[in-house]
Amino acid sequence: MTTTRTCATPDKKINEEAPCILACPIRQDARDYVQLIARGRFNEAFRLVRERNPLPAACGRICTHPCETKCRRNSTDAPIAIAWLKRFLGDNFSEEPGRAVSERYPEKIAIIGAGPAGLAAANDLAILGYSCTIFESNPTPGGMLRMGVPTYRLPRVSIDNDVHCIQKLGVEIRYNTTFGVDITFESLKKDGFSVVFLGVGLLESRTLNIEGVQLEGVLKGVSFLHEVNTTGRARIGKNVLVIGGGAVAMDCARTALRLKPGRVSVACLESRKEMPTTDFEIEEAVHEGAVLYNSVGPKRIIGKDGKVAGLEILKVKYVFDEQKRFNPAFHEGSESVIEADTIILAIGQASNLTFLRGQEGIQVTRGGTIIANPATLSTSVHGVYAGGDIVLGRGTMTESMAQGKKAAIAIHNTLRSSALKDEKWADKPAVPDVAASKIALIKKEQKQEMPTMSLDKRLSNFDEVELGFTLNAAVREAQRCMNCGAGASVDDNLCVGCLTCVRICPFEVPKIAKGNTTAYIDGDCQSCGLCIVECPAKAIRFKTPMEDCGKDALEAVFQEKFVHGIKPFIVNFYCQYSAYKEGKESATDDLLVFHFRRVGVLGLGKVEPSLYLRAFELGAHGVLVTACKDDTCHFCHEQEWIERRSRFTSQLLSGLGMDTRRFRTHFISSQNGKEILEIAFDMVEELRHL
Amino acid sequence: MIVASSKPFPEIKQMLSGFKKVCVLGCGSCVTICHTGGEKQVAELAAQLRLAAKLEGRQLEVIEDSTLRQCEWEFIRDIQGVVKDCDAVISIACGVGVQYMAERFPRIRIFPGLNTTFMGGPVEQGVFWERCAGCGNCIVGTTGGLCPVSRCAKSLLNGPCGGSQNGKCEVSRETPCVWHQIYDQLDIQQLLATMETIVPPKDWTTGMENHPRKMVLEHLVVKK
Repeated sequence: MTTTRTCATPDKKINEEAPCILACPIRQDARDYVQLIARGRFNEAFRLVRERNPLPAACGRICTHPCETKCRRNSTDAPIAIAWLKRFLGDNFSEEPGRAVSERYPEKIAIIGAGPAGLAAANDLAILGYSCTIFESNPTPGGMLRMGVPTYRLPRVSIDNDVHCIQKLGVEIRYNTTFGVDITFESLKKDGFSVVFLGVGLLESRTLNIEGVQLEGVLKGVSFLHEVNTTGRARIGKNVLVIGGGAVAMDCARTALRLKPGRVSVACLESRKEMPTTDFEIEEAVHEGAVLYNSVGPKRIIGKDGKVAGLEILKVKYVFDEQKRFNPAFHEGSESVIEADTIILAIGQASNLTFLRGQEGIQVTRGGTIIANPATLSTSVHGVYAGGDIVLGRGTMTESMAQGKKAAIAIHNTLRSSALKDEKWADKPAVPDVAASKIALIKKEQKQEMPTMSLDKRLSNFDEVELGFTLNAAVREAQRCMNCGAGASVDDNLCVGCLTCVRICPFEVPKIAKGNTTAYIDGDCQSCGLCIVECPAKAIRFKTPMEDCGKDALEAVFQEKFVHGIKPFIVNFYCQYSAYKEGKESATDDLLVFHFRRVGVLGLGKVEPSLYLRAFELGAHGVLVTACKDDTCHFCHEQEWIERRSRFTSQLLSGLGMDTRRFRTHFISSQNGKEILEIAFDMVEELRHL
Repeated sequence: MIVASSKPFPEIKQMLSGFKKVCVLGCGSCVTICHTGGEKQVAELAAQLRLAAKLEGRQLEVIEDSTLRQCEWEFIRDIQGVVKDCDAVISIACGVGVQYMAERFPRIRIFPGLNTTFMGGPVEQGVFWERCAGCGNCIVGTTGGLCPVSRCAKSLLNGPCGGSQNGKCEVSRETPCVWHQIYDQLDIQQLLATMETIVPPKDWTTGMENHPRKMVLEHLVVKK
């Protein structure tokens, strides 16, 4: 390009980021791995997930997925199942062996606790080039993931697979080693460890100071889960009552149900809407048979002969006071009794800091957590860092991992006197919610349902309840993604203000702002690509390199040695929306396999006519375009434009003296295999005779 | 803006026969807006040229480039490095751009890829209509702002001909009769009485009958 036009200034809006990425505590590139799944590029998607997330299979199951809460598709129908797509990747794909660690540093890092925070810190430090040893008091890794989360939600093999990937980086894990007993700060220092990261987690249950907690039959939630998770058994009565409304309470209820008591109930202060866990978990607990008592507070535990007989409760007036502080108040005189012979306390977790007794002076809060600098996770003792629940008090898995990751960078910067920065943490504005006027223009698409084990089966064992997406379901779910923040962008230096994009956009997104003469495209862009192709100045492009609009795939087709000998050789440009087929094509597709090569694009509106000509130039004898019908089209508006482009391409070929039968367009779902085969057969036979 | 249409590809191919290294050169101004000379069309024409050469077994190297305006010396000077090694340039600017290129690079064959047609603009997306004939003496102030010279098939100056029917020109059912439109405009502006004035014959020497024309702005002339 000439010098007058080579200077490209990025669009002013380019810094808006997808809300799903910003909502994630570890800044996982949710939009991007979902888009890769939508294109069937699973290994790349897994690599992208693993780049920031050391526990993809576990995270994909039990993460609280704030990314889905922020998903902009909430405005149109339902959020993308981002977590379950991550699980799909974690379960089915894995790292290539021998991931390269570029540097090697001499310092050894000690990490206390093989929970999410410790594993994340170890993972990142190992990648940075440090020798990491994790000291774990239990005989297996995972911390609360293993001790506290039931196997019907998180199979142990998933934890093991995730941890195995971390160990392949050179991370060593020493089990049955308790900090404060088997090792101390002094002994670690003596053994050559330069830095200690404390990621021990909250392994105690918070207690309830009411009359009757000493009675036989009162169990601590975390201890109950721990016992069942390690032995598969626990002693409970016939009428179980769980106190608490959070995730641990739901786990206790569902775990108890599997031990086959007569009845399981849950009582919590919060109303149904206020319960501090996901709707999904509540619904599953109720579905499996738990009875909910909302807006009730425990007054005392009633005993008989030294054993639990029930819980006296009061009606809750409010849980949070006018200053939004946790300060429950009750209606006087509203006492009633829920009968129970076992009561499980699941009202939160607490720390056990006995391991710090006799160690150097680390500052702790009144609540029993370690005080750490929020930016660096350093503690009041030099060389000692802390993260995870032991710092957060009540954090999520991803928040713990985020602290582990931040600590890793801080440790590296301290040891190397450097200023390494994780750019992902930079604050960016989120793409705003879908404008009300645009919602009707965006196609609503059915969310893929997660297949689950039947009710009678699941209560007979502790096998995983959610069975996972099939490949087909995962791709379909991913294809609902709106690609927020990665759509089209206008280069101001190239735009001539011809208004083409403003006029043709089916979503009415490009605008000429007041006082401007060039177009700009905001976050409502749906990435259909029509404007990119039609822009006469080529001033519009996708913000993400992932969108190559078929170019790379087409060139790749002709890298195969054997295609040049095939007559006739046909390139099939097809729309990947509603096109994915699981497994290999059937035997009857031999014709397709031999004569055809497929180039899949998410929406053929992105393909420019000169690319079809390029296919002929590279050696194709025919080009077949199979586009979605309007009623199955993700964008709803592409058929008209594809028809126009097809006519235009035919004109170009005609001007070359080529027979236009070499170029065909059909509007058909690529899943309609039989019809596709008929078209393919006709085309092969016709081209044979040209 | 200047509106131009693409030449038929067989004509372009014929012009370029025998050349081994060709540059397709676009213009980022008027012809970009009318979708015949922008970078997109550069890519399309280049793709056609490459495919045509392949089909005929010819060797052809095609270079693609574009400049903001082909009617400015400074802008086409910047592309000298690109075109100086080419045998030919197919310019998809208007006729002005093609000539600037030819004057600037006399040793290189410069060919037009477009047929420059008229001055006009988009009436709807993708549809361009002529709106000015460059007659050199604008009279639209007396005709409700609408030009009978360019928009009347006969360039009549004193009202419609006898062939105007139902607001349509007798030359084509698609073409509105501009005098019908002028009448409506003057009616809205309460100036219908002005149509009674007979306009004398037009002095065509200010317009297309007098080539080439020149405009000099003394206060802007800079001697070099």
